[in-house]
Amino acid sequence: MRFLFQGTLLQKLLGVVLLSALAALLLAMGAMLAYDLRQYRESGFADLATQAELLGRASAPALTFDDVRDAQESVELLRYRPRVQAAALYNARGKRIASYARDPAATFPTLPESDGFRVEGDSVVGFKRIVDDREIIGTVYLRADYGLHDRLLGYLGIGAVVIFASLLAAYVLSRPLQRALTRPLLAITEVAIEVTEKRNFALRAEKLSNDEIGRLAEAFNTMLAEIGRATRELEASNRDLGREVSERGRAEEEIRRLNAELESRVKERTSQLEYTNAELEAFCYTVSHDLRGPLRAIDGFSQALIDDVGDALPAETKPYLTRIRAATQRMGQLIEDLLNLSRVSRGELQRADVDVSEMARQVAADLQLREPERQVEVKVWDSMRADADARLLRAALENLVGNAWKFTGKAARAEIEIGEMRGELRRVFFVRDNGAGFDMAYAGKLFAAFQRLHSGNDYPGTGIGLATVQRIVQRHGGRVWADSKPGRGAVFYFSLEPAEPAAKFGT
Amino acid sequence: MAEKLILLVEDNPDDEELTMRALRKAKIANEIAVARDGAEALDFVFARGIHAGRDVTRQPAVILLDLNLPKLGGHEVLRELRADPRTQLIPVVVLTSSSEDEDKLRSYKSGANSYVRKPVEFNSFANAVGQLGMYWMLLNETPPR
Repeated sequence: MRFLFQGTLLQKLLGVVLLSALAALLLAMGAMLAYDLRQYRESGFADLATQAELLGRASAPALTFDDVRDAQESVELLRYRPRVQAAALYNARGKRIASYARDPAATFPTLPESDGFRVEGDSVVGFKRIVDDREIIGTVYLRADYGLHDRLLGYLGIGAVVIFASLLAAYVLSRPLQRALTRPLLAITEVAIEVTEKRNFALRAEKLSNDEIGRLAEAFNTMLAEIGRATRELEASNRDLGREVSERGRAEEEIRRLNAELESRVKERTSQLEYTNAELEAFCYTVSHDLRGPLRAIDGFSQALIDDVGDALPAETKPYLTRIRAATQRMGQLIEDLLNLSRVSRGELQRADVDVSEMARQVAADLQLREPERQVEVKVWDSMRADADARLLRAALENLVGNAWKFTGKAARAEIEIGEMRGELRRVFFVRDNGAGFDMAYAGKLFAAFQRLHSGNDYPGTGIGLATVQRIVQRHGGRVWADSKPGRGAVFYFSLEPAEPAAKFGT
Repeated sequence: MAEKLILLVEDNPDDEELTMRALRKAKIANEIAVARDGAEALDFVFARGIHAGRDVTRQPAVILLDLNLPKLGGHEVLRELRADPRTQLIPVVVLTSSSEDEDKLRSYKSGANSYVRKPVEFNSFANAVGQLGMYWMLLNETPPR
């Protein structure tokens, strides 16, 4: 049956049709043959029984009287029946009294057997009792040709011819059927191939019949329409995607361009800043050198005048020279402080672990050294540390502790405390004193350069110290603020790190 | 032994006069040569230019060097002095108004023996210059020739 799974659909159809026809024919012929052979055998037996009966009736007198000649004549008559091969008559005692055989070499059974016929090879053999008036008077023996072989051969011949003719007819008749089946299928196939090759989903298969193939064509067309629609949607979405991609590309290009622009602007600004910084440094250098030279000359020559001709000057004029000197020295201090302010704004911030307690003690000791006569109780907390630029932090402490020192100058018992508060977000250092304090209404002016809350007569100063502290603290990302009441002392707080660690930039 | 010589390199006549006065007040009687710019300072020590013919064996026992000078700056003068075997051992004191760390670093790196700021206040200035004179003229031993 393997051929059914190979070859074209046409061949398969043909195979199925022919096989079906063949099977039907073989079944029909087999049934006919079986029926006919049975009929033939029964009619053959009946025929032979009639012949034996006739022979028996005709030979009854001869048997009754044991007339051998008569019996022989009756038997001889059978030569007109060519089917009969041999015949014999037995009397009531079972003795054969007459016989006939077409073939002289034929043998006969020695004793008669019971009634009945049977097939023996290609012959039918049988015995028939001859009864007369309820008395068995003899037995007839008959042997005749059966003829089954010839009959079978004839049948096979006819069968072969019939099968051949039937198959031919089936073949011829099935061609249009096949074509009717395969043509619509081929049409669908061709459309499918064309659709695949040309990607033309507008093509449709022609519906050639209303059967399953017709429905197949309809389903195929529906599928094509669906695929066409899906493909169009896909292509549209692809186009959208493509547009989106190119738009994104343009946006990225724009971002890159803007970034490059920003970068060049930053570079430009940086170089401008660097230039400004360089200018500032040059300016500070000039201030440090050239502005102090003339001051030194004014001061020096005033002193020279005091030294050389001081005694000759009128009493009311002589203090003028002292005033000139005091003014130039204040100017010198102002320049010094301005330089410090500019110095803390310049240069790289170099953070390191700093022992703040130790640094605060040194600053206080320096102040004590400068004014040994002052009695100030300085309390510095132990083990305070900070991540800071040591040089700048020292400058800040010098200013803050220096201020505390200065503004406790008139206190009965001067006290200065330097400590820290450790919060969750950052640590805050403080410098507390019990000095003059200030009015919080002016707290906003505290950290601006040249702003002073006390007169120079009470507490000398240039008003740059706290501005310097603020600059230092800001450079560390921290904050400085103060709390005070006039006459009740002041507390200055400062931190050296941003409240939010994430907001830390660069420094 | 000849009297020790001081070379003052100073372009500002006011500062020159005040320095001289301070030295006088400190009773420093040594000879003081003055160069008014960096180039003249080098001419002096190498006995060339307007100082050609000077007795070159008589070198200053100390050079008081200002940094902000016309023509050749103090740092350059210092470098040239240290680069020449004839002058590399002469003690140089930088005497300047500058308190810039950068100036201090450069000076010491170039081989300055000392760095002294000129205070604005004259008494402090006179005190500093007087002490310098005393130290370099009386206490300090010059390098052997």
